[in-house]
Amino acid sequence: MAISVLLVDDEENFVATLAKRLTLRRFDVFTATRADPAFAALSENPIDVVLLDVRMPDLDGIEATKEIKASHPLVEVILLTGHASMEASLEGMRMGAFDYLLKPVNIDELVYKIEDAHRKKELQEEKIRRLAEKADEDSNAE
Amino acid sequence: MITRGLRWLQGIVGRLTGRAEPGDPEAARELFQTRYHALRLLLAANTKALDLMAAMERAAGGGFTIGMPFVRSHCTAVGVSVYQMVRHLDTLAPDRYTSLFERLEDIQHTIDHELATLPVPSDAPLVLPLTEVDSHHIDAAGPKMANLGEVANVVGMSVPKGFVITTAAHERLITANDLQPEIDRLLQAHQTEELDELFALSSNLQSLIMSADVPREIAAAIDAASARVASSPAEITYALRSSALGEDSAQASFAGQYQSLLNVRSEHLIESYLEVVASKYTPQAMHYRLQRGLRDEDVAMSVGCLEMIDARSGGVAYTGNPGDREDRNIYLSSTWGLPKAIVDGRFASDLLIVERAEPPQISDRQIGDKRTRFVLDPVEGVQRAEVPHDLHHRPSLSDEEAIGIAELALRLESHFKTPVDLEWAITTDGKVVILQCRPLAQSSAVARRPLPAGAPPPLVTGGVNASPGAATGSIHRVGRDSDALTCPEGAVLVLEQPLPRWAALLGRTAAVVAEEGGIAGHLATVARELGVPAILGAGLLDALEDGLEVTVDATGRAVYPGRIESLLRISDQERPAAVDTPVQQALRKVLRHIAPLNLLDPDGIEFKPASCRTLHDITRFCHEQAVREIFAFGTETEFPEYASKQLHHNVPMQWWVLDLGGGFKQPVSGKYVRLEDIACKPMLALWDGMVAVPWDGPPAVTGRGFASILFEATANPALATPFRKPYADRNYFIISEHFINLQSRFGFHFTNVEALAGLRPEENYLSFSFKGGAADHERKAARARFIGDLLADLRFAVKVTEDVVTARRTGLDHQDVEQSLRVVGYLLMHTRQLDMIMNEPTAVEHYRSKMVADIQSLSRN
Repeated sequence: MAISVLLVDDEENFVATLAKRLTLRRFDVFTATRADPAFAALSENPIDVVLLDVRMPDLDGIEATKEIKASHPLVEVILLTGHASMEASLEGMRMGAFDYLLKPVNIDELVYKIEDAHRKKELQEEKIRRLAEKADEDSNAE
Repeated sequence: MITRGLRWLQGIVGRLTGRAEPGDPEAARELFQTRYHALRLLLAANTKALDLMAAMERAAGGGFTIGMPFVRSHCTAVGVSVYQMVRHLDTLAPDRYTSLFERLEDIQHTIDHELATLPVPSDAPLVLPLTEVDSHHIDAAGPKMANLGEVANVVGMSVPKGFVITTAAHERLITANDLQPEIDRLLQAHQTEELDELFALSSNLQSLIMSADVPREIAAAIDAASARVASSPAEITYALRSSALGEDSAQASFAGQYQSLLNVRSEHLIESYLEVVASKYTPQAMHYRLQRGLRDEDVAMSVGCLEMIDARSGGVAYTGNPGDREDRNIYLSSTWGLPKAIVDGRFASDLLIVERAEPPQISDRQIGDKRTRFVLDPVEGVQRAEVPHDLHHRPSLSDEEAIGIAELALRLESHFKTPVDLEWAITTDGKVVILQCRPLAQSSAVARRPLPAGAPPPLVTGGVNASPGAATGSIHRVGRDSDALTCPEGAVLVLEQPLPRWAALLGRTAAVVAEEGGIAGHLATVARELGVPAILGAGLLDALEDGLEVTVDATGRAVYPGRIESLLRISDQERPAAVDTPVQQALRKVLRHIAPLNLLDPDGIEFKPASCRTLHDITRFCHEQAVREIFAFGTETEFPEYASKQLHHNVPMQWWVLDLGGGFKQPVSGKYVRLEDIACKPMLALWDGMVAVPWDGPPAVTGRGFASILFEATANPALATPFRKPYADRNYFIISEHFINLQSRFGFHFTNVEALAGLRPEENYLSFSFKGGAADHERKAARARFIGDLLADLRFAVKVTEDVVTARRTGLDHQDVEQSLRVVGYLLMHTRQLDMIMNEPTAVEHYRSKMVADIQSLSRN
């Protein structure tokens, strides 16, 4: 099954171009250019990885990362930014971002990062599945 | 219910990196996979961090142009990679190295502090009358206006009335409109090396500034200053001149790179001010900063607002020859009307050469055919006008005027204690006014050369040597902006008019030839600063067709067809040494906290998080500990499938193999694994190299050499058995399908080979490090250099420090990594004990030739 990616950035041209390129690489791509539709898309679709602009007019990407990790802990977030700042990057990572990439983004590198983030999510899902099965077995045994 | 489920899920996710429950093979397998994934990500982050550090070190040493966005983005990217390593190590060994997060944060704060820009004092005046400005006001008024104030108020020469809108006003403008974050974002997100991106970026940045609101207090200060200059606004018009910090030094004149607006009415001062500030981001100014390594944030723009002078004649004066430091004559370029015609470099003018004497004497006079001049438009701005016919060949300057200007120039040279470049005007009533004065940029003296023997006849001769040297390239003719966008790297630029805006191309240009222009134009000044050979005013250039390969000899004022090596060799010796730029200085400052490696000995007591002083130390620590942790997992966890196996092979040394997954063709039971069971191609390639050529045994050692080995063995406690770590006693392969890490200790030699040879060439790498030996220090170091030289010839990036050699190759496809591993495998076996013969040149040469031949034969096979 294709990896599904939600791309959130207020630069419409950037979103359109990147979405097209990721679709060509066989990702399922959802897009949003504002905060509310982004969170709606996250709730309504089985998103694996969110690509999130750090600075948008109505959204602080680092706070949003914290919020996404709280409500969808298995979803991985990759922050994208035009603002190179060590402090912001480490803050984003502390909030649980999988990675922090600087624009302009190298498409091959981005694809690898999405695949790596997705693999991490898969490993976590496998573990949860096994723990859930074990919990079922334990309760049946009782 | 949903909340409860989510909390359960979060709890699980939080525990995912915990320990496996004893006796649960499924849990152990999962945990192993999670850790292996973490190790793989840690290794990828390590490769990226090391690549970024290497790029930063290269940039700090000069060689290619960088701006502050490079420094900031590389610091951020390297910080992110190191953070990832720490986090992945935490996944591998939960809670064991948490203090690394604090160390990283401390180093990050130090780097951020080094990158911070000094703020402009908030109480600095927004506007300064020119009568109050002198050379002490560089920070507020910028060098151009500070120099002009000095000329007027200290030297006492005539300059236009006016005032300066200071750098404090610029700072206030940027802050009040919150422009800096957006400027930084745009600068970082575009690749300014690409010309089309540079033009698009320039347009975005200039629009951003043009649409800013000028804060009320700045507008009020400008109005008040203007009212002080002239009681009625209708009385005068203004020339607005940029005066940016960093501008107008001999090393970086920014000649013509920023906007000057002439004949501006006082009611249009505010929008004209914005226009000059926006010109900080013209393509040529941005390119110029990049070429000169100037920090964007250091270039605060102040703007001089000077009474516009209606000039009868105007021009520039140099108190020296810009192309020959030894020539101390005064060069005067002059034309009818405003001096703009001279500095734009596009129209014919007069050149007078004045000798230094008491009084100065005119020694040469070249009167140009001056058909065009610039005059004031009756409404606003300036316009081109035809010069009346009877003035075409008349000198635009009388001899008395020329000598008078030469004397003023010499006085200024004496005051500023350096040769100067001044712009002057003669008013309609014959008064000389100084408009600008800056240090003159001069190139080293270059002798006029005879035409090279055997060279083909030149295609073009004549013109002026506007920037000395010689260079070769293919011709690219530029007339319109669209021609500029297609200018290839290393082209010879052929122009009709040497306009300042073509300066944006100089960084990618081998040489410049123009039909018009002279030494005094802005493009000529920038070409000299960047060391790009230039012939200007060469006349018709029809012989120089697009795409033709030529050699431009600016010093000899000739263009030859083809490549003339003899000229290029001389030119190389004449090239100016690289300048240490502010950006490189900033980069080196931060690199002190990034690149040095202090944690050298993984077995030493200082090998701990608290000893990490740089980001490189943290990467080294994480890498070493990650490998140890993953190995420990295989041996400590009661799960035989993943425990290490001894390689069953007919070799005297013990080899142990730990499979991270996919490294064995099928599950292996028992204590041993055979070579036929190995699926890991990198391991098989390394092994191939190790066994490809039988080892001749240790080289013959003289008695002195043997005594030294005994001494080393007793003096170095790390070599004594009781001090060794258990894992270091054997040779270990840690493998997966595409990955290998070999830690080995052959006697006194410590080796680490690591390679990733997967399907993503961008992530693939091979790293090799070798240390130690039993001979004395000098011979061990010689052996390290010996190995380093062999690897450098094989295109490895090699670093040799004392007796340690490290080598890396990156970005290869998997077959190339495997081939390189064969060579490394060969070297591992055949450089053992070579340190002992390193003081015997004949033996060294024998081994070098043999190894080169063996390596060639390995490559053929």
